[in-house]
Amino acid sequence: MKTKATSLSHRFFTTITGIPKTIITLGLLIIFGTAAFIPKLTIDARSESFLPDDNPALLYRDQVEQTFGLKDPMVIAVVNKGEQGVFNPQSLQLIQWLTDEVMKMPEINRDRVVSLATEDNITGNSEGMVIEPFFETPPITQKDADKVRAAVMDFPLYQGSLVARDGSATLIVTEVYDVNAAPNVYEQLLDLIARAPTNNGESLHVAGDGAVSGYLVTYINADAARLVPISVVVITLLCLLSFRTWRGTIIPAVVIFSAVAAAVGLMASVGVPVYVITTSMPILLVGVAVADSIHVLSQYYEELANHPNDSQRDLVVRTMVLMWRPVTITTLTSMVGFLGVSISSYMPPMQAFGLFSLIGLAMAGLFSLTFVPAALVMLKPIHSPAFKSNRQGLQIDFFSKIMDTIGSWVLGNTKKVLFLSVIVSVLGVMGALKLEVNESWIENFQETEAISLADKAINATLDGSNTLDIVIETPTEGDLFKPEHLHRIDALQGFLKTLPHVNGSTSIVDYIKQMNRSLNENTTSAYVIPDDADLISQYFLLYSASGDPTDFEEEIDYDYRMALVRARMDSARYQQNKVVVEATQKYLDENFNTADIKATLSGRVNVDYEWLNSLLGTQFKSVAFALILVWLLVCISLRSVYGGTLALIPVILGTLSVYAFMGVVGITLAVGTTMTAAIALGIGIDFAIHTLDRIKLLIAEQGFEPEQALRQLYPSTGRALLFSFVAVFLGFGILGLSTVPPLAKLGMLIAFSVLISFISSMTVLPALIKHLKPEFLGYQRESRHRLPADIVNE
Amino acid sequence: MKNYHSIIILFVAICNAPFAAELPDGDEIALRINARDEGEAVSRLLTMEMTDSRGKQRIRETKGFRKYYSDEKRTVIFYLAPKNIKDTAFLTYDYPEADKDDDQWLYLPAMRKVRRISASDRGDYFLGTDFTYEDIKLETRISIDDYQRKTIGESEVDGFHCLLLESVPVNDDIAAELGYSKVEQCVDDTIWMVRQSKMWDMQGRPLKTIHSKDIRQVQDIWTQHELEVSNHKTGHHTRFTFSEVRYNEGVNDRLFTQNALKRGL
Repeated sequence: MKTKATSLSHRFFTTITGIPKTIITLGLLIIFGTAAFIPKLTIDARSESFLPDDNPALLYRDQVEQTFGLKDPMVIAVVNKGEQGVFNPQSLQLIQWLTDEVMKMPEINRDRVVSLATEDNITGNSEGMVIEPFFETPPITQKDADKVRAAVMDFPLYQGSLVARDGSATLIVTEVYDVNAAPNVYEQLLDLIARAPTNNGESLHVAGDGAVSGYLVTYINADAARLVPISVVVITLLCLLSFRTWRGTIIPAVVIFSAVAAAVGLMASVGVPVYVITTSMPILLVGVAVADSIHVLSQYYEELANHPNDSQRDLVVRTMVLMWRPVTITTLTSMVGFLGVSISSYMPPMQAFGLFSLIGLAMAGLFSLTFVPAALVMLKPIHSPAFKSNRQGLQIDFFSKIMDTIGSWVLGNTKKVLFLSVIVSVLGVMGALKLEVNESWIENFQETEAISLADKAINATLDGSNTLDIVIETPTEGDLFKPEHLHRIDALQGFLKTLPHVNGSTSIVDYIKQMNRSLNENTTSAYVIPDDADLISQYFLLYSASGDPTDFEEEIDYDYRMALVRARMDSARYQQNKVVVEATQKYLDENFNTADIKATLSGRVNVDYEWLNSLLGTQFKSVAFALILVWLLVCISLRSVYGGTLALIPVILGTLSVYAFMGVVGITLAVGTTMTAAIALGIGIDFAIHTLDRIKLLIAEQGFEPEQALRQLYPSTGRALLFSFVAVFLGFGILGLSTVPPLAKLGMLIAFSVLISFISSMTVLPALIKHLKPEFLGYQRESRHRLPADIVNE
Repeated sequence: MKNYHSIIILFVAICNAPFAAELPDGDEIALRINARDEGEAVSRLLTMEMTDSRGKQRIRETKGFRKYYSDEKRTVIFYLAPKNIKDTAFLTYDYPEADKDDDQWLYLPAMRKVRRISASDRGDYFLGTDFTYEDIKLETRISIDDYQRKTIGESEVDGFHCLLLESVPVNDDIAAELGYSKVEQCVDDTIWMVRQSKMWDMQGRPLKTIHSKDIRQVQDIWTQHELEVSNHKTGHHTRFTFSEVRYNEGVNDRLFTQNALKRGL
């Protein structure tokens, strides 16, 4: 069987190397063909992009936004930590100035600008309701500013939403006409606050969901533009260092381009946008794709050093016959990791990330098996200065020596090695049990970014920038004038206030109370819901005498059948959202919903809860999937269940150490980090596969004594593994430099996991083999089987 | 050089000649519109139909009276339906003096009280409709002092020939007060009524279109029986339908008092 496979592969590579020009032309055509689509790419940086378009929570939210005319605002926050807060003549002047300036911007809907300078106060006197601006022109004296403060603080609706409850901050809320203009408007607003006359210690911030997703596009573009060149340079330098020849540098580079072009080009061709996490794909492919060609070229230079007189074609064919199996199997296992991510998640960005990375890797594997031999055969044999032959047939350079030294230590200290690995496993399991999901969209930015600071400032002073919406529905028109329904909503708002991180809520009930009060000589005791439905409907008519037709559109629908209760939270983190969402749902089920009135959760907090809720499950599903498939693949490849199981040990150690690391550093599961384990598993297994494959080759085919075979492993395969490890490690490590925190964490964690997988493959695996003497590797049958437990106990 | 100048002047004159000869200028159009008889007093049924951008409607049936006391205008509106606002009544005194705020009262039957409403700005919306107080106050007339106007051409609305009148507020303050940066009206030059008005907002975006329909004579006075406004920014629109229009009959002065609001029809 073996010989049959060998002769088949021999025939294949003889054919390939016979038509190198065709192969190279085809290869270049594929690269240009796929790369041609890249200019079509679009970017989707919305947090909603994490849910499929047909997700019920998302659909419902869109419907709610439509019904109540909600739009993501962009806000300028004015913060003044002074004694008077923002209620001093200078700060109010500044608010007026900012309001006037944003109203001049053609991209901003002037009619929808809301600030202390635009809003009306609803009060009353003995004659009736008085609706007038808080100020026509900003006050000149502190005494007048105090009056404005008193008026604002007597108007419950704006407290916490427009003005901080302690008066230390206020917002200028704006809406852009066209969402696509958001990034541009964000820049303009930053420019505006930079030239704003702040002369009383005010600090200004620009924030808002519109600003966040708008700016995120610019932000991730800048990040990719910085990282991609770095990764290309680093990997090129690495190849140069490894082979010290031009061909050894350029050939892997072509393989990398094929992978990136295929992944990104195909993504563009089918119209899948770039999501925040997929921006990491090129950088990560650079690192992973190069590994195969490093192994092939290493083997080639080794063959060349050992058989300097053979023809180039013979050398290449022999290299490929030896390498096709490990290259294929490692490509497949890496693909499996990404497949695990892709199919276990129902979030489009993760599906796309898994799927297109997988395609890129497949392309890299294909190129390593076709383009690389074709390109090599076109060239004259030139020795790599890194691979020098000596009489013993082994080539020793600095890196080989390092690996050789490591090998001799490991094989001499197997018990210590195995003991350490048990400790890592225990820590890892403890870490995995503690894993929790936590993430918020704002954490896509570094904490020092203006937009993060703005979000923090608003959450620290006002009721919060994160909204949980509760939609109230009744069966017939005008039902919401009924006092019993309004009391129910009022009670719900009271309940919301008791939840952690919920600082306030608004609904039509607040307006009704305010109107009732203003029509009852403004007495505080009249800040209640009147008990007459007709009176309430007449209040609305009264209000319309001074208000806009669309005034209550965000609170109640046009036929008074649906209402929106909006709660504000000062945290966007999943752990806090979860408590609030689940407690509210319970309240609605048990205390609110009846046949006549029904409430449903919606809003940003609920949508985020929906998709983050599925993350923990995704994490374990993807790991389990990848683990099983990888195991099957290796079992088939080594034709041994024992071998497949043994190969998993280093990656399991890698995965567990990631969990341990996350536990120690306090990293939580988030969009980026959930994918770590599956990807790292698929990539990390490569080291074990190459190790086992080589040991098997050395013992079974080249007739080495097992002890000797283990030592032989280090300077040759060990050296190639070191370089492919460094390539992968650097690829992900560079991602670790990303200014987008989720990508940085993803890169860092995978790099760490791969490091542990590599170290384990070079230490734990040989140590285990030395003790277990597995037959599938060619060891002679022994009388007694030894279990890992025995070894540790020894 | 001199020759050159005279050629330009001649050219401009030739170009302007047809307009200058045929079309009345903006101010003349405005004067003719405002000279038209509107009737000193009027009573009518008015159905207000407001539709939001999602197609949901609020329909209100009212009976309204209006009377001029020289330049002072008094209006009262009694709501007939729907049930929950039936007998609500709205009274306004519009004073001709620019610096004198209008007076407004609303009677809330559920409270059995007349409530005074703080004066509205001219650009504020009227009772939840897409008309501003200024639109309502002017009815079919044109504000002379607020705008500079010119005739910009001819057009046709609903098959009627009309002159295109472009009006621009005289200064930014007035524009901000009115909420319009420009108004373009189609004026029927046989009956001197505006058949269509288009308004642009302060940022120069299309804001509203008001369309007067079903214009026919009642007691020899040209009367619009349907008014349709669309707000292009909010997607909200309003339709006023007038019926049983009677001029100068049954409009008692006592209707325009707070007591009449309480008493109802």
